[in-house]
Amino acid sequence: MADSKYFSTTKKGEIHELKEELASLDRPKKKEAVKKVIAAMTVGKDVSMLFPHVVNCMQTEDLELKKLVYLYLINYAKTQPDLAIMAVNTFVKDSQEPNPLIRALAVRTMGCIRVDKITEYLCDPLQRCLKDDDPYVRKTAAVCVAKLFDINPELVEDRGFLDMLRDMLSDANPMVVANALAALQEIQEISGKEVLQITSHMLFKLLAALNECTEWGQVFILDALVSYQVQDSKDAEKIVERVLPRLQHVNSAVVLSAAKVVLRMMEEVRSEELVKAWSKKMGPPLVTLLSAEPEVQYVALRNISLIVQRWPSILANEVKVFFCKYNDPIYVKMEKLEIMIALASERNIDQVLLEFKEYAQEVDVDFVRKAVRAIGRCAVSLEKAAQRCISVLLELIQTKVNYVVQEAVIVIKDIFRRYPNQYESIIGQLCDNLESLDEPEAKASMVWIIGEYADRIDNADELLETFLETFPEETAMVQLQLLTATVKLFLKKPTDSVQRMIQLVLSAATNETDNPDLRDRAYVYWRLLSTDPEAAKDVVLANKPVITDDSSQLEPALLKALMEQISSLASVYHKPADTFVSRQRLAVQTVDTLAAARSFAEEDVAAAAAAPQATGNGAPAAAAAAVSSAPVVDLLGEDLLGDSTPAAAPAAPAATPGGLDDLLGGLDVAPAAAAAPPAAAPAAAAADPFDLLGGMAAAAPAAAAAAPSLPQLLGGEKGKGLTVYGQLQRVGGRVVYQLHVNNGSATSVDGLMLQVNNNSFGLAPADQNVAVGTLAPGARGSAAVPMAYNPAKLAQGPANMKLQVAMRSNQLGVFYWDDNIPLAPLLEEGGTIDGQAFLAAWRGLPQEAMQKLDVTIADVEAAKARLGAVNLFVLAHRPVPGTGQDALYVTGRVFGSTQVLLELRLMRGTPGVDVSFKSERQELAAAVFAVVRSSLT
Amino acid sequence: MISQFFILSPRGDVIIRRDYLGNVPKTSTETFFRTSKFYKAGDEAPPIFLVDGVSYLSVKDGGVHLVATTRDNVSPSFVLEFLKRISIIIKDYCGSISEEAIRKNFPLIYELLDELLDYGLTQNTSTEALKTFVLNEPTVVAPPASLKPLFGLSKGPTGVFKSVLDTNRTDGKRRDEIYVDVVERLAVTFNAAGHAISSQIDGSIQVKSYLAGNPPLKIKLNDDLLITRRDGSGYAGGGGYGGGSGFSAGDYAADSSLVILDDVNFHEVADLSAFDTERCISLVPPDGEFALANYRTSHALRLPFRLSIATEADPASDHKALVRLRLWCDVPADKAASGLEVELPLPGHVARVHCEVDAPGSAALAGWEFSDKTHLLRWRFKKVLGGMDLSMRARLTLTKPFGASLRTEVGPVNLKFTIPMFSASRISLKYLQIMRKDRNYNPQRWVRYVTSSNSYTFRT
Repeated sequence: MADSKYFSTTKKGEIHELKEELASLDRPKKKEAVKKVIAAMTVGKDVSMLFPHVVNCMQTEDLELKKLVYLYLINYAKTQPDLAIMAVNTFVKDSQEPNPLIRALAVRTMGCIRVDKITEYLCDPLQRCLKDDDPYVRKTAAVCVAKLFDINPELVEDRGFLDMLRDMLSDANPMVVANALAALQEIQEISGKEVLQITSHMLFKLLAALNECTEWGQVFILDALVSYQVQDSKDAEKIVERVLPRLQHVNSAVVLSAAKVVLRMMEEVRSEELVKAWSKKMGPPLVTLLSAEPEVQYVALRNISLIVQRWPSILANEVKVFFCKYNDPIYVKMEKLEIMIALASERNIDQVLLEFKEYAQEVDVDFVRKAVRAIGRCAVSLEKAAQRCISVLLELIQTKVNYVVQEAVIVIKDIFRRYPNQYESIIGQLCDNLESLDEPEAKASMVWIIGEYADRIDNADELLETFLETFPEETAMVQLQLLTATVKLFLKKPTDSVQRMIQLVLSAATNETDNPDLRDRAYVYWRLLSTDPEAAKDVVLANKPVITDDSSQLEPALLKALMEQISSLASVYHKPADTFVSRQRLAVQTVDTLAAARSFAEEDVAAAAAAPQATGNGAPAAAAAAVSSAPVVDLLGEDLLGDSTPAAAPAAPAATPGGLDDLLGGLDVAPAAAAAPPAAAPAAAAADPFDLLGGMAAAAPAAAAAAPSLPQLLGGEKGKGLTVYGQLQRVGGRVVYQLHVNNGSATSVDGLMLQVNNNSFGLAPADQNVAVGTLAPGARGSAAVPMAYNPAKLAQGPANMKLQVAMRSNQLGVFYWDDNIPLAPLLEEGGTIDGQAFLAAWRGLPQEAMQKLDVTIADVEAAKARLGAVNLFVLAHRPVPGTGQDALYVTGRVFGSTQVLLELRLMRGTPGVDVSFKSERQELAAAVFAVVRSSLT
Repeated sequence: MISQFFILSPRGDVIIRRDYLGNVPKTSTETFFRTSKFYKAGDEAPPIFLVDGVSYLSVKDGGVHLVATTRDNVSPSFVLEFLKRISIIIKDYCGSISEEAIRKNFPLIYELLDELLDYGLTQNTSTEALKTFVLNEPTVVAPPASLKPLFGLSKGPTGVFKSVLDTNRTDGKRRDEIYVDVVERLAVTFNAAGHAISSQIDGSIQVKSYLAGNPPLKIKLNDDLLITRRDGSGYAGGGGYGGGSGFSAGDYAADSSLVILDDVNFHEVADLSAFDTERCISLVPPDGEFALANYRTSHALRLPFRLSIATEADPASDHKALVRLRLWCDVPADKAASGLEVELPLPGHVARVHCEVDAPGSAALAGWEFSDKTHLLRWRFKKVLGGMDLSMRARLTLTKPFGASLRTEVGPVNLKFTIPMFSASRISLKYLQIMRKDRNYNPQRWVRYVTSSNSYTFRT
């Protein structure tokens, strides 16, 4: 029987046909239909609309069919939690079947349905199965406890399941022990609490189980052993004794985990003898790992590169086994090269060099480069071998292969840094290859060498001159080196021609460059040379600190952390686990969200209920519901706050964070119909609109909480799926554009950049990048774009508070939106002036603007503090004679250095504050009044 | 814990997919395929990589990718070994692993996965024990011709592609058989002077059992087998399997009658109580394929090929050069390499190549080819008998005049071959006994040896 036919492409009406077949009374036909559904599910087709039909097949004697239905159920229970509850009765019944396979199947499956309501029903069957006579059922139930804990931890503790799990560690069946251990470890991870502490009693049991259980169980136990706190050296010895034989296992995971335990214990024992003996036992098994497939080799090599850094003696004599094979994959070769460098010693360097030289003549450019670098690194770290390394490098330069020569020049520069004034005899040979250098790093290295040895190279000036011809076109790295090298040359050989050269370079580096580093360095040299050439010599030609090869050395703290994580992904990435592990869990469906979800699942439920009597009729309705459910889900999700309902947008132009009323108002005007595409309209209309709104109302607070408290700027159709919330804010003394981007489109979005149109304040982004990185579909990101004053962006004409913004993305093109500029963030911290200046300015300015604000101030001191908080500074406060009023003289500076002057007159406890305003930009009055008002209320 | 497991076809289509924890997006299948296909600078992607906090671990077998994803700091070897194990189980149940085999058996594979993994935790992985839980009948598929190894193990009488379920389900064709293969892969590097500067064998004793009722077996290896483990004071028998001799292996090495292994590990079914004294392994073989032992050695190998190479200028034209290769096959005359490929990288300034071959009649030359893109010159031979002597000449047309550096730019020469019934380490099975007291019970026993090249390189 060939099942591959199920993968044939979808025909029209296939779903309909499937529904009929699923309802068929003929069992083989039914089974065939379920298989087709599973095949469709595998290739990623959405067959969730068949949920009720498939679940109807669940009550069957046929185990094969039951398994298939359960498989479907696990896959779709997440999206149809409501319907999954329908299956509970069958689970409970199945968990009491005489056939242990069915009991286990039921327990396994129902743990995968993450609906908190279902867990109540789960507890009794689970309790029974944990005590089942059949070990197969018990081991399945053990895992189920971990599943349940993830959904509802309280329930697990209340029902005493944790204690039952701990008891299972003494089960007679090793598979049950392994699963109980794994479940406890998992629960420990989820809860962060210590539910499994290894006592010395348990240690003994675990060590005993080590010999009994499967290879996978052995890995679990070995990994658990690492966390055991040994009491003394004896303890450690005892453990290692039991663990050492595991190093002979065929499974590389067992070998590495065993090695991890031994390495851990090596840190614990004091005896040199023991460490030595264990080291010796570890070498051959580690080498044997290199006989495995390249994938396994790769993991072993990444781990070995950590081990040799901590315990170099273990593999000190084995450098030969790390020699690259002709057909090793490149990722294996690169790792082997690193380890060869680490193991290179004066004893084996000849052999190693011979290999490197061979690799440097291979085809793969990256590998060749790395091999050349390796020679340089050996030279830097092994003083006695440096001469031999250099002669190999010179031989390689003779091959004239372009990238080999360039790489060799780079490493020779490092060798010169390490051993100053020792090997300059080879400079002549390097100089013969100047014309082949075209990569910046190689060029920069060569220029550095010429500058450093300018006094020993007869034609150093000519050589530098040839490089200088292309000075303006070079990269910054080369320009900087050229500048320094010329200065060195000048200090060593101040001839006339060199004098001309230096003038040329200095003027080019100061006048004709945009690079501040280059310019500043040139100015420093210029001043040094013009004030005190002798001091310049002391500075520029000073001895440099000696370098060491630390390019592959890890920080001791990191190495220590990674050694404890040998044989984990951390040891492959060479990063501590917390940098990449994120415990993301699937949300548990609560009854509330179910209620919300029910609104759009309405028709499905109806169809399910109607299924038995009206298969034919129900089909189109359910299909239509499936179509309409997509946009509605959308509506409930990211876009809820925005104008995915176009009608809502004008009604609430600057949707404030608390603007739920507005929003729902908007929805009232156009209940969903506006959002649903025309094709789905009839289906949406068929649904009860009030129910739909009820669903919205329930879901809205949740969505509002999830969205940031920023007004929406972009969304809906205009946003092509992207929703942007944002506002100008003042953060740490700067104006920033706080942005929050939700990517609701189907593609990953990156390269977001921001630009603004000319505006009344000269606001412009200081850095155009919106640093949200790459946003995968469904992802969100926040960024603060710093804004700076740019006179070029200053709009002429009367001030207005509009800001036109454009944002581009690599994938979706450019978006535009209009934003309002709030004045508050534009008021600057240091914007105060002294009283005299205030008076002078007040007098000099024309007629003020006045407004009466209807606020009541009871406490003037508090009011002053509040004004200060928005960067409006009170310069003077005095009572106005004869009126009982207080007068406050207030100033502030608006972004772009516009001083604003205010006089406030108020009567304590009486409503009404008279504010007079004067500024060179009188048109700001209204905005400033608004700030004063909001700060005082 | 494993979040998802999926199998992708060579084109990236999903053919099997299971999600265990639901904490990795569904699009992970595409993310994996894109990342591994377009890894940086066209390099082959490593078997483990991290994208957006999700680790992808994969192995490739039979043209399909078996992939596991996780967000945890799992043991990577554990996951890779487990993926390899899944691929073996699929082979055991479906006869072979390939896109076709998986598509034809997908309900069976889902059944197996149900038992293999629960909530991302590894469960039962023995082919034997899994039989209890599967109900679907397998559709046995032989691997497509294109996926057979170059000079396949599939050739000869032992190329078996059958399901373990055949032995007890399909009564009609049921046949008891057991296969024991000694598979050795050679990694040898010769220096320019023709001396082997490094040589190693990675060997494995593979057992594939289709015996009903799983009777115990007894396997005896060479008496003159010595297992050494380096421990500072030269070589000495150690680690328990070393034969407990007081001699140092240095003495033995000179005596070429000994077979010396550097390290060996055994499958957990192996009972080694009689191994130290008699070199006997007793075992009850589980169903399906497994490695009874893996070993490696760098001692006294029988190297099957030697080669000499010379590059010289053509006196007639300075834009031409001549490369001469001579290859000796050093295996006994009754053995033969079933397929040989000689690969010679040439420098970029070689424009054209013309080849002539001098070989005894039976070593039929299957052809030669030169690729402009990879600059590789390849000769292929169908069958090379022991003792044969092959000469190849390649006339190169150069785009720049001949220079002495050409000599080092030609090469290294890489050989690919498979030699059936030959073990480079000289390890052998003295007998294979099936311990069942039944005179009429005489199942087919297949024992064979094969040595193939892992990396067999002559530097120039």
